[in-house]
Amino acid sequence: MDQKLKNITDRVMDQIRNDKIKMRPRLYFILGSILTFGGLVSSVVVSMFFVGLIRFTFRSHGPMGSYRLEQILTQFPWWALGLAVVGLICGIWLIRRYDFSFKISFRLLIIGFLLAVLVGGLIVDISGLNDLLLRRGPMRGMMRQYLQENSMDGRPGKIRN
Amino acid sequence: MTLTDEDIVDRIRSGNRDLYAVIMERYSQKLMRYVLNLVHDDDQAAHIVQDTFIKSYINLSGFDSHKKFSSWIYRIAHNEALNIIKKGRKEVPLLVELEFASEEDLIKSFEEKETSEQVRKYLNALPLIYSEILNLFYLEEKSYQEISDILRIPVGTVAIRLSRAKKLMKNLWTKN
Repeated sequence: MDQKLKNITDRVMDQIRNDKIKMRPRLYFILGSILTFGGLVSSVVVSMFFVGLIRFTFRSHGPMGSYRLEQILTQFPWWALGLAVVGLICGIWLIRRYDFSFKISFRLLIIGFLLAVLVGGLIVDISGLNDLLLRRGPMRGMMRQYLQENSMDGRPGKIRN
Repeated sequence: MTLTDEDIVDRIRSGNRDLYAVIMERYSQKLMRYVLNLVHDDDQAAHIVQDTFIKSYINLSGFDSHKKFSSWIYRIAHNEALNIIKKGRKEVPLLVELEFASEEDLIKSFEEKETSEQVRKYLNALPLIYSEILNLFYLEEKSYQEISDILRIPVGTVAIRLSRAKKLMKNLWTKN
């Protein structure tokens, strides 16, 4: 057994010395964290749009209802959905491989996170907090610019200056 | 003064590659024993230990030197062993009734009857989740926190699983 272990040491050290195996750069691991974070942020964006979309489909009857739905679907941030899925899968995969920082179940973490975002998004929508932020809050300028660029709201005059 | 594993890792990352031999010297026997208790095959265990050292070296930049290196490298060995086990081994379910005995009795019994062959035989008969935790706690002498880091389960789960493992082991021990 000792000889076997010595052979292992010799083989591995030989590969290291001859550059047959190299250390991955630190950037690789930083990328894993960035992808996970990007995935989580994208999940928030996607979930909030989903909440808005679902709520709109429930009240989309009446004049122009189907037109507005189509407009929302056209403007849906599919890139964010893609980034959310790819970012979360790749980031978690990279982090999970050799890091033991996260001890709780990732399945539960993701389910919990999505549920929290959906419920949070719904509460924000029902309470009208999003309207408040849009009209008076610190996000006023940013949101107005976004709406104008994307022509999402046909009522720009409703935003007070 | 003896350098800690974490200090050595820092030096390796700074360019002193030859120091990796010291890490291998410190861990080769421990990992071999740990992995052998998981896969029960000398050649496979040697292969896994070699892969563990290679992967550990490749990913050394990802190791957080504020944490314990031993838990990190055991975690890699655990992953490698599990990959092999999933490919080849079908776990035999253990059909034993639980008998409750105190921990003191169990440890005493271990001390009195202990022979490495017998212990290994009973460990092999246990489902992997229980044999591995006994292996880490008694043979590798890891703390609850370290086991929690290696298996990536909460400390509370470690305690519960270990308690069940002891009961199963006790049951096997008294039956034979």
